[in-house]
Amino acid sequence: MNADALSNSLDGLRPTLLKIARLQLRNDSWAEDVVSETLLAAIENAASFAGNSQVKTWVVGILKHKIIDQLRRGGREVSIEAQMEAAGVDSLDELYHPSGHRLSPPLDWGDPETTLSRTQFFEVLQACVERLPENMGRIFMMREWLEYETDQICKEMNITSTNCFVMLHRARMRLRECLEMNWFAKERGP
Amino acid sequence: MKRGWLIISCRHAHELLSERMDKPLATGDRLKLWLHLRICDMCTRVEGQMDFMRKALRRLGE
Repeated sequence: MNADALSNSLDGLRPTLLKIARLQLRNDSWAEDVVSETLLAAIENAASFAGNSQVKTWVVGILKHKIIDQLRRGGREVSIEAQMEAAGVDSLDELYHPSGHRLSPPLDWGDPETTLSRTQFFEVLQACVERLPENMGRIFMMREWLEYETDQICKEMNITSTNCFVMLHRARMRLRECLEMNWFAKERGP
Repeated sequence: MKRGWLIISCRHAHELLSERMDKPLATGDRLKLWLHLRICDMCTRVEGQMDFMRKALRRLGE
């Protein structure tokens, strides 16, 4: 790919990269920084781009590395907040009867591949992740998008493994509710 | 052994389903979850949804 074509496609990718970086970092100036670093790294390493993978996949791969570096740099501030948030009350009591039964039965979500082929579904998914409390969202994205192991997350965020599992569980249940309410209950989308 | 120790609520089953996404479950928990899923269609549905959410999140940005 020549330099012009590459810089054009990088320009087009910027909004998407920024959205994902914000979702993971929950900090606008960090997100701006990592996206700039990513684009710069992409331009500088354009020669190493084989061209047999999609530009987007390649650039998102770089973005993940830059985000991991940023999480390490900002780790100290974030971990204190995370400990406080983990200690805060956010039980899932409103979803269950005291006996432990769910108050409303979960809906049938239909065919997964059909859902995953809808661009609008990913917009709802992002909005639902954004709605999670800040550190819960950060930890959840570290696990599910950056694919960290749980003990790595505990270490980076300096929280106990119990708190880590509890936060991941709450994040999953909250995300489940949000997707159901905003996508699956609406006849599988607009 | 106490009767009913293998019987878990849906709430507990959801906790185990989530825990299983992050680490291997202890044998007793695996057994309890397996038995619960055998008889509970609603939790089997949630099990599929957990996998689906993981798949969807890994595709963010692709």
